[in-house]
Amino acid sequence: MPTKIEQECDPAEERAESEDLEGKRALVIGCGNVLIGDDGLGPAVIKHLARTGGLPDWVGLLDAGTGVRKVLFSLVLGEPRPQRIVIVDAVDVGRKPGEVFEIDLDAIPAKKADDFSLHQLPTSNMLKELRESCGVDIRVIAVQVESIPAEMRGGLSAPVSQAVERAAAEVRRILGCA
Amino acid sequence: MAKTLTIAPVTRLEGHAKVTINLDDAGNVTETFVNTVELRGFEKFCVGRPVEELPRIVTSICGVCPWSHHLASSKACDAVFGVTPPPAGRKLRELCNSIAYTEEHILHFFFLAGADYVLGPGADYKTRNVFGIAQAAPEIGKKVVRNRHLGARILNVVSGKSIHPVTSVPGGFSKPLTEKEREMCLKMAEEILEFSKWAIAWAKSDVFPKYLDAVKSVGVIKTGYMGTVRDDGTMDLYDGKIRLMKPDGTFTDFEDSKYLDYIEEKVLPWSYMKFPYAKSWGEGFSMDLADPKGIYRTNTLARMNACDKLSMPLAQKELEDFRKAFGRPCHLTLLYNWARLIELLYNAEYAVRLLNDPEITSKETRVPVTPRAARGVGHVEAPRGTLIHDYETDAEGLVTNVNLIVGTTHNNGPINMAVKQAAKTLIKGGKYDEALLNTVEMAIRAYDPCLSCATHLLDGRLAVSIDVVGADGEVRKTLAN
Repeated sequence: MPTKIEQECDPAEERAESEDLEGKRALVIGCGNVLIGDDGLGPAVIKHLARTGGLPDWVGLLDAGTGVRKVLFSLVLGEPRPQRIVIVDAVDVGRKPGEVFEIDLDAIPAKKADDFSLHQLPTSNMLKELRESCGVDIRVIAVQVESIPAEMRGGLSAPVSQAVERAAAEVRRILGCA
Repeated sequence: MAKTLTIAPVTRLEGHAKVTINLDDAGNVTETFVNTVELRGFEKFCVGRPVEELPRIVTSICGVCPWSHHLASSKACDAVFGVTPPPAGRKLRELCNSIAYTEEHILHFFFLAGADYVLGPGADYKTRNVFGIAQAAPEIGKKVVRNRHLGARILNVVSGKSIHPVTSVPGGFSKPLTEKEREMCLKMAEEILEFSKWAIAWAKSDVFPKYLDAVKSVGVIKTGYMGTVRDDGTMDLYDGKIRLMKPDGTFTDFEDSKYLDYIEEKVLPWSYMKFPYAKSWGEGFSMDLADPKGIYRTNTLARMNACDKLSMPLAQKELEDFRKAFGRPCHLTLLYNWARLIELLYNAEYAVRLLNDPEITSKETRVPVTPRAARGVGHVEAPRGTLIHDYETDAEGLVTNVNLIVGTTHNNGPINMAVKQAAKTLIKGGKYDEALLNTVEMAIRAYDPCLSCATHLLDGRLAVSIDVVGADGEVRKTLAN
């Protein structure tokens, strides 16, 4: 029986996207593919934040799916930029499944792979550039996946499903809206 | 000592590609392999779902060209339900397609492939990217961002979503365009058209001339081509017959529902991705550079080759100049980028024309649909090539079978061939450097491949590594940048 969060990740449902992201002081961007199990964590967190509400008008929510590059490319060179960007994404770094933690951009080595492969979390060079050249405060909330299926399958694993609310709370804390 | 060079992953593509180049004892290229990760199981994922959900679901396959999947899926659903959208519904779909094209082509030319051209393949990797362009040519960077932004705004006005669209539905388009919205979008589309005119003029005067030598040598392969045309041979990116052109320029046009009579997908043991080839040519499949069989290409250059003409006057003039310079069919792989700018201009002109059409604001944008047992095939020209969606449903309208052929897959064979050709040209006697290897990457990037990959690895792996493997299979040395 799918959990409530798993149902929220159904890709047949309309995806969360603030009506107008332009001029928002802060953007919360959920990354990942809802067709790939736990990879759908980012979109699930955005959906949770949109459903539970209470965020101020100056916060924009975007379920970027696997299209985050479209957003970041424009943010890098565009105006006006948000003052803060919070990225929410699933990662596989050997931690306990469902663990919510913040990633320090400086701890990620600057590798060539990071520049443009924006389907992946390591858009870190671009995020660093946004921070250092553009003065945007970049925060990355990550959740350790239980597993990534070899074949397309919707829905989050139990530990990652349970992490959605905690990740959303972390976003609110970072935004000062807890 | 025979050895193997491995370039992995190829950056600035969607997902991962691993390039392996085998050298012989003399240090010359013997074989190359481009390996990609392909996500499997989408067909199974869809079975049992109401078919009308698919246009929404397919936008999650990949965030790079969601509109192409959204529209191909809607068209397949139209065919399943046996309906034809009203003119305004079709025009709104076409408008979104054209604007999405302008976004994609601007992004690819200026930010992905463009970095190679603007800064050169020998430039330090740390600057050969969007930031490098921004610093080297800040005014260009601003124009590029402004025009991509305009495209996103038009899509938001027309459809309410820019990343995961939902407004194209079986039977048409769910949201009519108001007159006020039309006027707003027209102004923005006219600005994109002005930018497109500038972009191709600038590239022809300041960029392409520097690379004509590379254009004539890197990744050049003689293949067939695929595109979509109307009955009179005019290119159409949204609808029409699929045209399959042989390397000698002769061609056959066929209905998309008959694609299985013309195309077959070859499976090779070393690749996750299949290799479509032209079954109808009756010559089998071979990626031999000297004597390829069944190989055809898709994407921008393929469409410019396949069509007889373009319906938009400025783009048609550019096509005439292009053919005067390079012939038809043109086999020069790096000219995909030139063809991309002709298509950018075409789509900007087409969007302006659609927005000047009073019919586009009609409130009649969709027709009702009723479930039935049927098969429906829909296709569009996605930026990366002919995108085919093929669905079957039961009497309740539930999906029983799904087959997709996506643009990049058509080009799997040609990409492998182009890499081999480029590697053979550039690596002689075991001598190579980063500029040479990056030029091999340029040959791949010309195809703008979308190698969908959604796993999130935060492992800091080196992007380019060269494994030197002896004849005994042991790794003798690993080089990395």
